[in-house]
Amino acid sequence: MNFNLNEEQQLIKQSAHDFGKEYLEPIVVKMDETREFPREVITAMASHDFLGLHLSADWGGVQGGCVTYIAVIEALSGWCGSVASIMNNHAMASYAIQHWGSEALRKQFLPAMVEGKVLGALAIYEKGPTPGIGPNAVVATKTDAGYVLKGTKAYVRNAGEAGVYVVTAVMEADRPKTAVAFVVDAHTAGVKVGQRIATMGLRGCPVADVIFDNVVAPESSVLAARGVEIVNRTLALGALGDAAQTVGIGQAAIDHASAYAKQRVQFGMPVFNFPAVQTLLSDSNTDCHVARLALYHAAQLVDDGEPFEVESAMVKSFLARLGTKLLVDSCQVEGGMGFVESMPLPRLFRDIAGTTLVDAPSDTPERAIAMSIA
Amino acid sequence: MIFKPEQLEVQKAARAFVAKYIIPYAAEYDRTGEFPSHLLGAAKESKIFAMAIPKKYGGLEYDSLTQALVCEEWGYGCAGMGTTLGASLLGTDPLLVVGTPEQKQMYFAPIVSGGLAAFGLTEPGAGSDAGGVKTTAVHSGNEYILNGTKCFITNGAYASVYLIVASTDPSKGLKGLSAFIVEKGTPGFNVGTAEHKLGIRSSNTVELHFKDAHIPVSNLVGAEGDGMKIAMLTLDMARPPVACAAVGIARRAVDECLKHLTERFTAKYPPPQTMQFKLAEMHAQVEAARQMAHHAMELRDTTTSYSMESAISKLVGGDMVMSVTTQAVSLMGSYGYTSTIEKLMRDAKIMQIYEGTNQIQRLVIARGLLTQAAQRMQKGGKS
Repeated sequence: MNFNLNEEQQLIKQSAHDFGKEYLEPIVVKMDETREFPREVITAMASHDFLGLHLSADWGGVQGGCVTYIAVIEALSGWCGSVASIMNNHAMASYAIQHWGSEALRKQFLPAMVEGKVLGALAIYEKGPTPGIGPNAVVATKTDAGYVLKGTKAYVRNAGEAGVYVVTAVMEADRPKTAVAFVVDAHTAGVKVGQRIATMGLRGCPVADVIFDNVVAPESSVLAARGVEIVNRTLALGALGDAAQTVGIGQAAIDHASAYAKQRVQFGMPVFNFPAVQTLLSDSNTDCHVARLALYHAAQLVDDGEPFEVESAMVKSFLARLGTKLLVDSCQVEGGMGFVESMPLPRLFRDIAGTTLVDAPSDTPERAIAMSIA
Repeated sequence: MIFKPEQLEVQKAARAFVAKYIIPYAAEYDRTGEFPSHLLGAAKESKIFAMAIPKKYGGLEYDSLTQALVCEEWGYGCAGMGTTLGASLLGTDPLLVVGTPEQKQMYFAPIVSGGLAAFGLTEPGAGSDAGGVKTTAVHSGNEYILNGTKCFITNGAYASVYLIVASTDPSKGLKGLSAFIVEKGTPGFNVGTAEHKLGIRSSNTVELHFKDAHIPVSNLVGAEGDGMKIAMLTLDMARPPVACAAVGIARRAVDECLKHLTERFTAKYPPPQTMQFKLAEMHAQVEAARQMAHHAMELRDTTTSYSMESAISKLVGGDMVMSVTTQAVSLMGSYGYTSTIEKLMRDAKIMQIYEGTNQIQRLVIARGLLTQAAQRMQKGGKS
């Protein structure tokens, strides 16, 4: 058992850190204020090969594997959660296309996605109790030319900026309803993006509903597996990317709070010296460390071709309980200064919540974990 | 807790006030961070303003439990606006206990006519450690001359009257602190720029600067050296109302979850059991914290030594609201991250910080317990 990144992974992680310092640190505060989409940064990320980390060389990717991908997301998140979130959603879409798309679909989208010319998004959530049920469920109707999609997907990240959507729809004729996944070019007639929704944090990453108003989807745009399988596997991978963001943001906060505590003097000494403050910091650091180990273990399973879904669910479940606490407690160390937006922790507080609290809440990872031990 | 009809009447008025003057404006003022100028007049009109001030000074003279009910409604509507109104109570509290009739008259008059009070203890170097106060008050003839800087002062730019803690004898540390009434417009007293905050954004938080500000000797509250005692007494009084506001925020979170769940799920597709259990836990935590807050509020009117219960109410309420609002965002997922709920989670965080961080509350509780235990030992010769 080896817990270390190999030399290449270390180099790539370091380059992501350097990238963050050079490209993200200067813009992160303004992006949070203005919610402006960081187009130039996405282009720069492509030129650093970050957008093709997990993709095959056939499409211009670097075949870096999941551990490398996670290392990069973690490193970027310490600088800017929004950009890491944009990248993770982009990666989920490109992963699905590479894994289940026809040769034609791959050729059409993947090279452009590696180059950052086309951004991807996953459109799977709906406002009903579960996808496929509810008045605005996206329904696919079979026609001679393929399918027609009608309905609304909710809370799509990268919405509006994305050039391609991986969309799930239930087949109108099927009973019980079965989901199918489509790849839809954002420029297709009938694809409409709703008003951008204000989010608590990760404010550079746009979120909106995406409306499919009788969108024609040819047979060739269907991904080659059952929709539920595609969603489960893609989300299990995406959850690792989310967890890497939580860990990256959490560690940045702990480091900041720790540095603050060392220079903040109360009762005649740095507050870092007080056992109660050390406990806040050490509990957070321990939680963050344990999460990171579990995260990289799950990512290694992916690279080894082993089942990783349960381990991914465990990371997600662990961080759903403790992820936001990393910021609740880091802010607490800084007291009033942890509450003013001229300091960095309030932004990290708002960002981390978006990495760990926002998936469809009925998709509880606990079920997957429980079933694995039954 | 069984309430009297007159207490419930006030609760009803507070709910109506919040529904009309707070809830419809909360999101916009949260976004802009501006001060809601309509608030004070409306609160006065709704008879939930100057509610701690005795009737003979023109106030409403509500008992503490009635105030608890009002503070909860403020928190329910918007913790930012609740903080504005609540901090004025905090600024009033010390005068109620230690002010002379003349000082009360002078201090309460602008409040009963619709103004705000502010309490100035914290400084850049004096947060949890109030003994670090560097602002000085030098006695000179019929005046004290104030110099120094206060920070994180709620209502700082909008208050009519301030209670300021300053050192009259720096050589004595905590025992050299004294409390002063400072009026708005005093020459040498200026207000800094407002802080942009994670939450309670519509409340005003500023620095106060004193540069040779002359205060009449008659504005000294209590005696020289009483400052720390007065500050502690003020915080004892102010912590349970914070707990009440926390209960209000958390109750709102539960209500918003219920609204969302009933819209999203149906009888045919009820919320999964995991969600139902989360909801149940949230509600149970809110109810338990409210009982503790009400208990501490009742003690405020019946005893002078309730520091421990006061600290417990704030610790329990502050930690509860952080947890409940986080659960609420998670229960609603993406919807929670983009709606009213996210504001509740941002607002909740300050409940663990102001009026003494929850670490300080633990310190107060632990010291209280250990002191009591030591006294028992001494008395009985054994534990």
